Amino acid sequence: MKLLELNNVSIDYKTIEGNIRAVDKICLSIEDGEILGLVGESGCGKTTLIKSIIGLLPQNGTVAEGEIFFENENLLKLTKDEMRKKRWKDISMITQSAMNSLNPVYKISWQIVEAIQAHKEISKEDAYKRAEELFELVGLEKGRLNDYPHQYSGGMKQRAIIAMALALNPKIIIADEPTTALDVIVQSQILERINKLLENYQGSMILVTHDMSVIAQTCTKVAVMYGGKIVEYGEVNQVFKEPNHPYTMGLKNAFPSLVGEKNDLISIPGIPPNLLNEIKGCRFKDRCPFSIEKCSQENPKKTNIEEGFFYCHREEEREKLRVLASKQETWLQENIKE
Amino acid sequence: MRLLKYITKRILVMLLTLFVLVTILFFLFRVVPGDPVSMFIDSGLDRESQELLLKHYGLDKPIGQQYIIYIKNLLKGDFGNSFQYGKSALEVIAERFCNTMILMVTSLIIAFFIGITAGAALAWKRNTKFDMIGTIIALIVRCAPIFWTGMILLSIFAFKLKILPLGGMNTPGMRFDNLLEKYLNFDFLKHLILPAVTAALYSAATPLLVMRTSMLEVIKEDYIELARAKGLKEKRIMRKHAMRTALLPVVTIFAVQAGFAIGGSVLIETVFRWPGMGREIVLAVSFRDYPLAQTAFLLIGVMTALFNLIADILYAYLDPRVALD
Repeated sequence: MKLLELNNVSIDYKTIEGNIRAVDKICLSIEDGEILGLVGESGCGKTTLIKSIIGLLPQNGTVAEGEIFFENENLLKLTKDEMRKKRWKDISMITQSAMNSLNPVYKISWQIVEAIQAHKEISKEDAYKRAEELFELVGLEKGRLNDYPHQYSGGMKQRAIIAMALALNPKIIIADEPTTALDVIVQSQILERINKLLENYQGSMILVTHDMSVIAQTCTKVAVMYGGKIVEYGEVNQVFKEPNHPYTMGLKNAFPSLVGEKNDLISIPGIPPNLLNEIKGCRFKDRCPFSIEKCSQENPKKTNIEEGFFYCHREEEREKLRVLASKQETWLQENIKE
Repeated sequence: MRLLKYITKRILVMLLTLFVLVTILFFLFRVVPGDPVSMFIDSGLDRESQELLLKHYGLDKPIGQQYIIYIKNLLKGDFGNSFQYGKSALEVIAERFCNTMILMVTSLIIAFFIGITAGAALAWKRNTKFDMIGTIIALIVRCAPIFWTGMILLSIFAFKLKILPLGGMNTPGMRFDNLLEKYLNFDFLKHLILPAVTAALYSAATPLLVMRTSMLEVIKEDYIELARAKGLKEKRIMRKHAMRTALLPVVTIFAVQAGFAIGGSVLIETVFRWPGMGREIVLAVSFRDYPLAQTAFLLIGVMTALFNLIADILYAYLDPRVALD
């Protein structure tokens, strides 16, 4: 069953310089129990997209078109209070900077109990017991519940936030770069913990990251975003083994592979497009080593493959491009137009 | 335990501050040109009588010795006798000091209540007309001279509407058996309203603007976004999360404001004929009435130090990070 379905969603930001379309006509769906990875460079619209799902876009951001269905109910049609009741109970969130997401003047236990009591008629003692259970789940000592956030390390804060996100057994958890602010060792501990929790957790999850290796470890599906659009979507192993979009091929090169032969890392030259101007044709064309005349004139069409899709004008030649893309010289600056 | 240690430390620091204050006050008045002799000892007296008077007040001794005697007496609770009145300086100033404190504390409470709530409300509705107009009004009230605001309020509520008294602290002719009776009655309250509101309007703008700025910072914080994600009601987010944290800088300025308010009470007391100690201090200084002036300034100092202590304790209570170091 489809738990969450985004239908043609576009999101605009009003700025002094003009409208910015941060997310452009995105269609995406998540099944019950599915773990979706959302990957892309900074500024590609990942965070904007997920904030629209939980209804927390900044003041100058609006969903300009499209529908967001959650259990066949359009979230955009809900009143503010109806949406508020869904938050955390049905859709919870692990924020981008867990370091600063805990209020410095309240004890951790107070903050967890508050989240539980906001949605459930439950006594303080029972809510506290639930907090103890959650702490055990994320591997924190129960005794630390009555500490203040400044007495926690970064990794502990992140665990506390994860515990809080699980508090009401939400149907979907949105994790916005849950490990970015941590050092590598703590990062892998947290990821391990998330993976372990997911084994017993019935709900779905969207994991936003710009780290391909995180996705490979954790997710079942992956959506690759570029310039406000999803350029490729599919089953994780499939996408990593045989990427179909040149951008995904480039991303794959830019991260070390844990299995298989050791390759030099290759980066994609150039910068993401400026979304302030309307872009004609494919958004990746300026950085794509394979772009052709057609790419600047028409928007690429959707190509459906089993369990996924991608958008590219040269979809017929993807086998050939994949071979070329794994070579260092393909991605040199001079091979790219402009 | 940690909190107790913190508070003890603060109190020790406060006592040290007061000792330094006493010392500075003692020497400061003696450095000021002019001496008590010419001010209150009649020059018509013969030399012998003049010296007798000097000896009586202990002014014939060297200044260092005078200082030691003063400190010794102070520790015994003896503030010295006023040169002008001939009776205990503390007795002269005590009642007037109480009158001033009641007025100032009332006005500070009103000021901070208005400042904190209005500041938070303006920040919550940032960039709206409400915010703009509110901020402008706050600035205008802040810039208006305090005696002018007082006179405007007097002309409206006392002259035109005749609902509040013109000045003073009690309706003339009233008699009271003790202090409590004097303060705990409706007549006193009616006299208190205008001067307290005038002083409050003047001091409200600073906490208001500080609170507004602090709130604007806080509502950008990630924990406010998480509070929203948690599905809390907006009112709860504003009160429990935003205002609570934004209060911290306001507490800091509370101590400073309290000092200013007590020091600046002279103008208010003059406009509203409030029998406070403002006028007494001016007289004491110009007559070189050392004991009286020292006592008055010391009392102000003690109150300011106490307000600082309260602010420190409040701060430690509000922000768990403070009591740690």
